[in-house]
Amino acid sequence: MNAFLGKPTSQWDSVAEQMLAAVAIKIELPPSMHALLAERKAAIEKHLERDGSPLKGKIRLFYQQGSVAIGATIRAKFRFEGFDIDIIVELTTPGMTPWQALELLYEAMRGEPGSRYYDMTERQTRCVTIHYADEMHLDLSPAELIDEFDPRRSYIHHSKPEEPRSRDRKVLTNSFGFAEVYIATCPVDLPFQQEYARRALRADQGLVAMQKDAESLPVPAHSSVVGGKSAVTVALQLLKRNRNINWATRDGRMPASVMLSCLTLEVAEAGRTIGQNLQIIAQHILHRLLQAKSIGQLIHVENPRCPGDVFTDRWPENQAAQDTMIADMRLFLSQLAVLLDDRRSLPQRRDVLKSMFGESIGDAVMNELEQDYGEAIRTGKHAFGVTGGIAMSPVIAKAKPAVKPSTFFGSKWPRR
Amino acid sequence: MAASVKSLRAQVQAMARDWPQLQPSRGLGARSVIWFGDLKGLSRTFHISIEYGLPIKGRQDLYRVMPVVRVLRPSLTPNWEAEEEAPLPHVYFERPDIRLSPLCLFDPKAGEWDASMLISRTTVGWTIRWLAAYEFWEMTGRWIGGGRHEDAGVEKEPENAA
Repeated sequence: MNAFLGKPTSQWDSVAEQMLAAVAIKIELPPSMHALLAERKAAIEKHLERDGSPLKGKIRLFYQQGSVAIGATIRAKFRFEGFDIDIIVELTTPGMTPWQALELLYEAMRGEPGSRYYDMTERQTRCVTIHYADEMHLDLSPAELIDEFDPRRSYIHHSKPEEPRSRDRKVLTNSFGFAEVYIATCPVDLPFQQEYARRALRADQGLVAMQKDAESLPVPAHSSVVGGKSAVTVALQLLKRNRNINWATRDGRMPASVMLSCLTLEVAEAGRTIGQNLQIIAQHILHRLLQAKSIGQLIHVENPRCPGDVFTDRWPENQAAQDTMIADMRLFLSQLAVLLDDRRSLPQRRDVLKSMFGESIGDAVMNELEQDYGEAIRTGKHAFGVTGGIAMSPVIAKAKPAVKPSTFFGSKWPRR
Repeated sequence: MAASVKSLRAQVQAMARDWPQLQPSRGLGARSVIWFGDLKGLSRTFHISIEYGLPIKGRQDLYRVMPVVRVLRPSLTPNWEAEEEAPLPHVYFERPDIRLSPLCLFDPKAGEWDASMLISRTTVGWTIRWLAAYEFWEMTGRWIGGGRHEDAGVEKEPENAA
């Protein structure tokens, strides 16, 4: 009885932070899908290197790029449409035209009629896409290494089948280098990573099913464990989700994920919560957009590891697109302020969460929160913050209630 | 039980240690105290009062039977259309302003509270739980805190209980 009842709380005791983490977990690649991805990637690599494949012996490296390389993959579009995974297939076939490189990869991937991948493979402008029934899409981009001594500065190929071949071109890239910079710079906060991973694993229904099917199956590696997941990356995922929601009904291209990742990196710092990160990143993006607008230009973002690898080459197409994102960032910041404001009621915060990240995700997150808190309140298995509040983070919540549970009582309103 | 009744001084001292933001004032009746202060429920902070007086023979005031907790601001919001517990969950309805009704934090018939217990170690924690459940109720109209009613007799589990 000598100890004070209220304890200092952690960031995980903030309802807003719990909501944000729960949204991120719902939209990201769950551990079970991560395991599936690793399996599919290995199978494709083997398929491309099979005897008789036009690419046998011609692949130098096969690596993930884009969001999956930095652990920031989120569901593809508006609702639960699966995941787009980007993979670079580095070829040892110098001198090929973009058309030849893409066609070669397409043929090698598709295989003979009757092959497993024959009907799943689609040729795109810059890649070859493998479509899986569960809505996962793997985009394979053939690439050509430019300089053995500057790994992985490469060209990827642009060749739209319906356009004249004169419009084909090679595009400079170093996505590998960017991922390296991102992972090296993006601070990993160990307690954050551990708690986030715990929540992600708990929320992964696919994993539960996998473990039931095969008891010996190890827990798969997850983006929150492999390389570490930082609160910065979680914030980036949420920003991407918000962008997807905003642009789902608009014409034209949307801001590139890699541009958002790079802008995020410019202000990344350890020790911030998800909410603080969101605020700082969104403010920074808004600042960069307004800076460009003030001098009549479009925002320009380049790969810090590869000058000339421009992340804004396809978006913004014009001032109107840039202005749209300026308005989006302003709205996002005002919505975030409501979400993080403890004086706001829960219904207000739920509504704003739904506007920011989607109706169904918002509802699902609030339902889970309701269940978790209901359990804690009824059993008394939680701690208290210094000023009150139900503290449920594993760091301070105890199996033995700090205050014994009680039975809420009272009179019923008399019905006439 | 009379021998183990906690004195007002013991109650005030324990409150000052456990929840210093709840400040005591002299109560309206003899041998009574009212604490005023802020408590967080789920995320919002509520200004509440806890009124308590030692039992005095012949006096039937509710605050001498149990600590009486009221939410002063922001005011509770009655919801006449709530799926459960309309218009307010687990209170002892008091007119004319039902928003100031005392919260029903424990079952008096189950002996969950008596005057030998510290308010800071029982009532305050229950109030925090009530406020947290209220914030959800305000949003969904569902009561997640469990409990029962005077006239119901049967333990009530929320529909979404695990």
